Amino acid sequence: MAYYALLFLAGFAGSFHCIGMCGGFACALGADPRGATATSVRHVLYNTGRLTTYCFLGVLAGGLGQAIYTSPGTRSQGGVSFLSESLNAGQRGLAVIAGLLMILMALSFFGLRGWHRVSSSFGGSTLVISLRTLLRRPGHAAPLAFGVLNGFLPCPLVYAMVAQAASTADALSGLLTTVAFGLGTFPAMLAVGGVGRLLAPHWRQRGVRLAGSFILALGLITLGRGVMPMTAGHGLHHLWHIA
Amino acid sequence: MTAAPDALCRHCLLPVGRRCFTRSVNGESCQFCCYGCCIAHQVKSGSGDASEAAWFLVRLGVGSFLSMNIMLFSLLVYSGAFSGADRRVLPTIQLLLWGLATPAVLILGEPFLRETWSQARRGRLTSSALIVLGSFAAYAYSTLAVFQRGGHLYFDTASMVLMLFTLGRYLEAAGRARASRDLAPLLAAESELATVVEGVNEHRRPVREVCAGMVIRVKPGERIPIDGLIVEGRSHTDDAVITGESNLIAKGVGASVLAGSINVDGPLLIRSSGAGGESRWAQICRSVRDALRQSSRTQRIADRLVGAFVPIVLALAGMTMVYWMQRLPLDHAMLTALSVLVVACPCAVGLAAPMAHSLGIGQLARHGCLVRSPGALEALACARLIAFDKTGTLTLGRPQLVDIASDGVGDDEVLARLAGLERHSEHGLARAIALAARARGLDPIATTDVQIVPGRGLRGIAHGKLVAAGSAALMCELGWQLPPPLSERADVMASSGHSVVFIGWSENSGPGRARAALSFDDTALPEARVTIDRLRGLGLRVMLLTGDHAGAAARLAAAVGVDDWQAGLLPEPKRIALDQFRTRYGAVAMVGDGLNDGPGLAWADVGIAVGSATDLAREAADLVLPADSLWLLPWVVGRARAVRSTILANLAWAFGYNLIALSCAVFGLLQPILAAAVMAGSSLLVVLNSLRLERLPGPSHPSAPPLPAAAQAASEPLPREQGQRRKLALLKAES
Repeated sequence: MAYYALLFLAGFAGSFHCIGMCGGFACALGADPRGATATSVRHVLYNTGRLTTYCFLGVLAGGLGQAIYTSPGTRSQGGVSFLSESLNAGQRGLAVIAGLLMILMALSFFGLRGWHRVSSSFGGSTLVISLRTLLRRPGHAAPLAFGVLNGFLPCPLVYAMVAQAASTADALSGLLTTVAFGLGTFPAMLAVGGVGRLLAPHWRQRGVRLAGSFILALGLITLGRGVMPMTAGHGLHHLWHIA
Repeated sequence: MTAAPDALCRHCLLPVGRRCFTRSVNGESCQFCCYGCCIAHQVKSGSGDASEAAWFLVRLGVGSFLSMNIMLFSLLVYSGAFSGADRRVLPTIQLLLWGLATPAVLILGEPFLRETWSQARRGRLTSSALIVLGSFAAYAYSTLAVFQRGGHLYFDTASMVLMLFTLGRYLEAAGRARASRDLAPLLAAESELATVVEGVNEHRRPVREVCAGMVIRVKPGERIPIDGLIVEGRSHTDDAVITGESNLIAKGVGASVLAGSINVDGPLLIRSSGAGGESRWAQICRSVRDALRQSSRTQRIADRLVGAFVPIVLALAGMTMVYWMQRLPLDHAMLTALSVLVVACPCAVGLAAPMAHSLGIGQLARHGCLVRSPGALEALACARLIAFDKTGTLTLGRPQLVDIASDGVGDDEVLARLAGLERHSEHGLARAIALAARARGLDPIATTDVQIVPGRGLRGIAHGKLVAAGSAALMCELGWQLPPPLSERADVMASSGHSVVFIGWSENSGPGRARAALSFDDTALPEARVTIDRLRGLGLRVMLLTGDHAGAAARLAAAVGVDDWQAGLLPEPKRIALDQFRTRYGAVAMVGDGLNDGPGLAWADVGIAVGSATDLAREAADLVLPADSLWLLPWVVGRARAVRSTILANLAWAFGYNLIALSCAVFGLLQPILAAAVMAGSSLLVVLNSLRLERLPGPSHPSAPPLPAAAQAASEPLPREQGQRRKLALLKAES
């Protein structure tokens, strides 16, 4: 459970990054003229849409990891594969790749920007242009649709989580990984949407660094899971409980 | 036939073809070549809350919300998350899946269903029919399974197939719109509006309704819609689209402006000098539209194959199903057949040629080169011989003094007298004489009473003596003697292709005589040699096929490095020569000025005219380069080859991919969802491969240092990037 709590915290810290990127969308979505309840529904729908996309990506990544690397018969039971002592070579490889990816993305939060250019190419820009038309549309379908598409916008945080989900090599664990992360982003995003006020830039900057640290820590742990010898698993496990 | 088979898609500017798709956007009826373009266009240009664009995106978003949920639950079911103790929730999950899938299939499948239906009524089967059949079969089977409490569910297949195809078409259309970016200004002439000023009133009118004499207001940043003269304001114009001139040109009151150029920085009032539909821009627009409208040979073959494809695939899917039904349960057999249906969707094949082609045409257009016939690029790419039709194409068109043969007088005296006389002439040779005199530091001798003898030359009075310059005929007319040594030298000069001018003056006592003969030659273009070297570097054989004297041809050939020439060819022998070359070299390209060498250009496989974009209506060229742009030719050839190889790569890819995927599907090795992803990916790859053409470097002028050109090429995508960043920033700032 501690694992998902950490993911939730990563999501929460990461939502400072979200406020920078997607917070604008949440603000632009604005208030519903029919009152506070309708406004809340609007923003909950938007965030549900976003969460759905994350869930989908998580379960897809987890399922993919499962399909590729879990040898038949050694299926880990939902949600406890993290730091389980019986890691086979496939899972280790996956963990190393996911860990490295996460570290790379965490570094991008600390100002290593090269990666960003790749992520914001063709598909991203097309989506952004498309999304604008959805912002001002009344009704409940539009915010939902908007949230769903928003979830696909290139975002290193989401990619990191998807990598993490893939490394769990289990569809349900993958789902839970991204759900925990997505729920973590809820409070800040809802607050931004409801209150309609951005945090001071330097706070946002700190939040982004914090998010980066979380991702970095997760990446290092995931990487460690892949490269540590079997016996070290226990030590790491202890470290984990202290954390 | 459909309503307008020759119309162009409003979004990607490719011909709409037979799968035409009509929708109204902002109250205007628009035609699209596909569903993807339809969505993308509405997303791009739909305005206001009522726009259908938002509706499309809502549909896409809600559709993906539903299908992602379906996928999510299905994946959990497949991965065994509901095994063991959780088994009893399975029926509920199945009902939930059905509840999600029903709206998903309806929302996402409706456009495909509509297209299938409208085509089926015309008796045609399109690839949408395959998608519709496949996904609805999966849905119907799974619905039965839910309510009969048995069998596997394939709701995920049904919805994801639709989802992936919708997404694929949308992205594809977005890519194609990028391809048409360079073409858009050329094709805008027919849809552009002009702000007509009448007294104090101003109203917007279509350009074709603008007549000569009307006053048009053009704001900074707008495209000038008509040819005319500036009556008020000053500004810079960017004429790149029309003339290929890449520098901004300053214009003030009284200056003429060209339709299609961009008014950069100042408001202008322009008096139209002709009807809106008659401008060069409108003519270019029509000819480009014609070139785009007709499909090239490769594409016609591909289209015919695609037409035969759908029924074959349906039959194949049927056979696959029957075959596997004898070996596997019904649902597995159905799934295999479904993969066959989905994977055989020949979208990529239909996209292979037109996109690369229009990208190529657009890029050439950006540098002022016009492609006027659809096969021109392909033929140029295949050509192995380039013949220059006229020596004039390779020369400056400005004669220079080459030689002076005098008889008993000094060269300086000859030149000084001649310069004084020719000062009063507008003839092309007069400039050459003035230049030569200035080069020697001579003062022209003042000449009075100068008369022009039409077709012969000039005569005037200097120092009280009659001076005359011109042809031998003029000397005879004056009764002046041509000394034999002089006339012999003159004959030699003429036979080697030079223009010859005699000059003579009268003696104090008695009649005058010719004193000197001067020969003039048109010099080769400074960049001609580099251009020809570059063409040869591209593996082309370069020839000179000209009607001029052998002497002129030989000298020019030597000067520019052409190793093969045939001179004195009349149109008929020229055609015979071209035919001979064609049997030896395959396709033959011919370069001329496009004005009076029409037959030669028309007879070649590709006729290339240099510098006559003004006279589009009368020449027969397939490809028109802007004036003084012979140096662009190697780049154009390179670009044509790039377009052709892209098309071939696209076709090979699309067909190869389809065949391999199809065989996998027939043997039951491909899941339908994977098949749909593979297919959507295939057309996306074709689009991306075609967009690679954009990355190729622009032309570099031989005289220009290579650095600025490289810097320009590198900085080219920058404005676009900035634009995107700005859009992102705008979106963020919209709060």
